[in-house]
Formats: sequence, structure tokens, C-alpha cells
Amino acid sequence: MALLTVKDLSIGYQTPRGLLKAVEKVNFSLEAGQSLGLVGESGCGKTTIGMALMGLLPENGRVSGGSILLEGRDLVTTPEDEMRKIRWSQVAMIFQAAMNALNPVQRVCDQMAEAILVHRPEVGRREAMERVAELFDLVDLDRARMRDYPHQYSGGMKQRAIIAMALANQPRLIIADEPTTALDVVVQDQILEEIKRLQGKLNLGIIFISHDISIVEQMCHFIGVMYAGQLVESGTAREVFERPMHPYTQALIDSFPTLTGDKRLNPIPGEPPDLVGEIPGCRFCDRCPKPESSCRLEPPAWQEITPTHHVLCDHCEDY
Amino acid sequence: MSQATPAILELKQVGKVYQSRGSLLGGRGREVVALKELSISLNRGEIFGLVGESGSGKTTCGRLIVGLERPDSGDILLEGESIIGLKGGAWRRYRRKVQMIFQDPYQSLNPQLTILDSVIEPLVTNRIGRPEERPALVLEALKAAGLSPPEEFAPRFPHQLSGGQRQRVAIARAMVQKPSLVVADEPTSMLDASYSAQIFEILLEMREQRGTGILFITHSLAAARYLCDRIGVIYRGRLMELGPAGEVIGNPGHPYTQALLDATPKFGSTGEIPRYGTLLAVPRPGEPPRQGCPFFPRCRLGREDLCAAGFPEWSSLSPGHQVACHRWKEIAAAA
Repeated sequence: MALLTVKDLSIGYQTPRGLLKAVEKVNFSLEAGQSLGLVGESGCGKTTIGMALMGLLPENGRVSGGSILLEGRDLVTTPEDEMRKIRWSQVAMIFQAAMNALNPVQRVCDQMAEAILVHRPEVGRREAMERVAELFDLVDLDRARMRDYPHQYSGGMKQRAIIAMALANQPRLIIADEPTTALDVVVQDQILEEIKRLQGKLNLGIIFISHDISIVEQMCHFIGVMYAGQLVESGTAREVFERPMHPYTQALIDSFPTLTGDKRLNPIPGEPPDLVGEIPGCRFCDRCPKPESSCRLEPPAWQEITPTHHVLCDHCEDY
Repeated sequence: MSQATPAILELKQVGKVYQSRGSLLGGRGREVVALKELSISLNRGEIFGLVGESGSGKTTCGRLIVGLERPDSGDILLEGESIIGLKGGAWRRYRRKVQMIFQDPYQSLNPQLTILDSVIEPLVTNRIGRPEERPALVLEALKAAGLSPPEEFAPRFPHQLSGGQRQRVAIARAMVQKPSLVVADEPTSMLDASYSAQIFEILLEMREQRGTGILFITHSLAAARYLCDRIGVIYRGRLMELGPAGEVIGNPGHPYTQALLDATPKFGSTGEIPRYGTLLAVPRPGEPPRQGCPFFPRCRLGREDLCAAGFPEWSSLSPGHQVACHRWKEIAAAA
């Protein structure tokens, strides 16, 4: 059984203008020890999926269809009092700009101990502190800094503390939403190495959410490219980046500067569509370089390129 | 003065020190050296990349050039004339010629002004053009910044635009005054990759069509390599390496530049990019040496007798490519 199976997941937000269909029939699965990169622009639905996996959709958000199976158990139908036990102990999240999530008036060790005690009150404070010390070792933080306050930590150290807190109760699945935003490239590299190392050591499943394709290529076994709430391409990192099939994936790659490239970048013109209201055909056709007449009227079908590589497009060509 | 030199901007041994105030709980105020002996020149129509981590002084450098702050030592010259000590009308004329685009598109626009009012404001303040001409200048600037059709964007408010669109308004507002030089401080670091590419395109067109010089401040080597003619690498307030973009990336002479390259994801790169391994996993303990090279505590190649003793001199690796490193010869030989 896979660690995580997401099947036909659809999520909507109630807004004053109507129902915003943020995620539409997304399918993917993940085994322990593997990482999946969900990549796409802001507003494509990747963070919404992350929040749904944690059962943390906001008030106006609702799963409108499909299932989220974590080790066989459907999180969509799990009531909140049960979710509270699962959240942070089986699935944990590293939020965007998480460095600001640390309580500034509490010592770092106390915050981590609290994260443990909330889930396992029977553990007791002494044992919780021992566990905190182990967590510090785990993420390469100096034990001598345990009793410091967050403002005394650098950005990189705060991020390590956040990662440690996410790992405090030994979850099986980690959702990392832009975990290195606002970090310098050298610190980012160190944090990414750390995450990779921890994944190997603890056999974690990781969902890596980012708009930065260079990071997900480096970190992930599998990639899901999202556009306007839909998964438009999925496959191994190699397949998606070496042989991208969807025009959006191709355009995304073409708009990314590289260290050795000399070609002029082609920005993707326009903006993503409004997700309130019906979109009968392909959601990308307004910005697609090669739309066909049928694209606007009929929704594209999921095509198989290889058993692992799939694309949501009826007319895709090789890069 | 010098009309002969192609440099429109020159920084000569610029220094800036900040005094941090003592804290409430008794810590004493400290002196923070933001920039030390910084010398850079920007040529007409050139895009110059200033690359460094946070705390490197790159933003301070931008702010000094734009006139948001004054240097404590050294000189800054625009078109051959020193800007130090400029006052009144001369200062205002300078401020018009040099414009800035900031990092955060969500903070740089007044939420209560329409796009038209935001972009027309500098024209009004600086009395550029006749009042009846100004709306047309605004529409022209919006169009040049990729906001087409401009009439649709002019009446909107910032909250109705995406981050990428807001950044383009910021560019339009900078460009409407037809500056000689634009300082772009991390203009895309808060934008998605696809919008970043749009901003890069506008900057390139700005240079191609108007000959505007651009100082592009960034922590991304890939973006600098793409956009810039020359790159300067800055660390803790000191320039460490300077040269043509392709040269600095392809043949880095400084251990810090090499460390930045090691840390940069290699997505889409063709060919082999070597791993330099110049960063120490654990920095050397203690304060960085006051007189020596600021990179010494983190540098695998650092030698106490050389590197802690004094800041290295500038050496030439090739024409136009210079590096400030005591051990530059050995590094170049090993390449």
C-alpha cells in the first residue's frame, strides 16, 4: 500500500463572487522514502493541496470530491478530533515563510517540547527535553543553542528549528511548502541537503511544493506540474524535465534562466484564468503557443507517454 | 568633466558604516561596516549585476546610488559629476536621473492611488512635461512596461493586480522620468519564475531601446548570468570579484564565487559545472579578522598568515576579469 494516494481530489473555496475551483480532479501517489515535487505558479492550487493533506483548509475551503488516503485511511472523511491526532504525528508541514512561525517570546527548546507534549502528554517534560536534544542533533543544530530565543537564530537556523519541530513526532509524510523562500542560496543549499539526508535516514515521504523548478529537480524523484488547479503533467523528474510534453511545462522551462544557457528566455504571456465559473475546454489554451480549435471547447484527456509519464493534453508534441 | 569616459556611474572607494543602537537590556551599540572601499563603474547602456548574500551590502550600495542615503567615505559620480554635497535643484535633478525598483511589489505602490495616479505622481512632483501631456506619458510608460492595453490598467488599484503586474507598474513609474540609470534591487525574488522572465524581458528592452544603464542587484547567479554584461561579487561589504558575466560564472577566480556556484541549483545547465568545495562546513570560530579578508572564517583555502593579516590586492585573471584573493594564482592554476 502506498504511503499516500490522492484520488480525483477536487477542492473549492466559497468566495463572494462564487465557488472558486482551486483544485480539480488531481491524482497522484507517493511511497515512503520518495519525494514528489508539486510545481506551478502562485494560485495553481499546490498550496491548497498541501493544506488539504493537513486538514487545514480555511473556513471557506472544502474538499468537493475525491479522497486522500494516508496509509489507507481517508483524511477527507476523518473527523476533526481524529485529524488532530494525525496532524503533526503522521503528517507534518513546513509552511511558507515558516521562519516567522516560531513564537518570539518562548525559548526554542520549550516550543519544541510543547509540540511533543501536546501529542503525547504521557511523555513528561524531562523525556520531552531529551527528545528535543535528539532533534537538535538530527537537524545539525548546536545543543548549546537550545535555550535561545528565535531572534538569536539566523534564518537558516530558524528553518532547521522548524524542520525539527515538524519531525518531533516522527511523521511518515512531510509537506514542505516553499521551505527555502527568503533564504540565501548558500543556506538554501544546506537546508535542502539536510532535508534530503533526513529523508534517507527516516524513510520519509515528502511533498515538495515550489514554483522554483531548479529546486524540485534537485530534490524530487517525481514531479507534478500544476496549472490553474489541474495536474497537467506528471512523471519522474527526469522524464518531466528532459522530455516535457505539456506546452505549459515546456513554457515554464523556457522561462527559467540557467547558469550556462545563452538563449533568450521566452516569458509566458498573459495570466492564468479566473477559476470562478466554468471553463469548458483546456485551461491553458489562452496562453498556449499552439492551440487547436478544439482546445477551447473540449477538456483535454489524460494521455500516457510511459507508464510513469502522463500529460493532460490532446495535441502535445515533443519539445 | 569627463565626457570621454563611457562610464555613467562611478563609485570610488565608497564606505558606509551603520551604528546599531544599544539594546534596552544593556547591550552596547555596535558599528556595522556595510560597505568598505567599494569601487565600481557602470558604463552607458550596460547591465551590471551586483551579486551577494543578504548582509553583503548590495542593497546599501543601491540605496547610496539612488540617494536614499549618503556614503560616509569615498565618492559617487554620475556622468562625471560628484553627487556628494549636491543640494536643492541639483540634487533633485540627480534624483530624477537615477531611479530604483524595489524588491517587494506589494509594498512599493500606494494602495489608495490608481495606477495612473501612482505613475503620474513623479511627473507632477518634478514638473516633467506639461500637465496635459502627462497622461499620455503615463500610458506610454505602462505600455513599455508590458501592461497592455495601458488604458485598461490605468484606472485600476494595486490590489486588483498580481505581484508581477505591480512590479511592472513600479518599472513604469521609474521609466516615466526617462532616467539614465535604474537600480533594480532583487526585482524578481518575490515573483514566480514565469513572471520573473517577463520582468527580465522588460529590463532588456529598456536597455536596448533607451540605452538605460541598469544596476541589477541579486542573489541569483543564474539571473545575473542571463541579464548582465558584467558581474561584481560582493561579500560583507567588500567587492571580491569583477568581470564579464560569462567569465565570472564559467571561470570563477574567488573561493566565495565558487561557493555560490556550488550552492546554485544546476537546472538546465549543459556540460559539466565543477564542484569547487571552497566553503567550510563549519566556519572557523571567533570574529572575522578586522583587517583581513572577511571571507576567511568560511574559506577552505584560507591561511591565517595571509588572509587574516590584510585584505588582498586586486589581481587580473584576464582583461576585465579581476579578483581580490591572496591565493588567486594557485586557484587559477588548479582550474
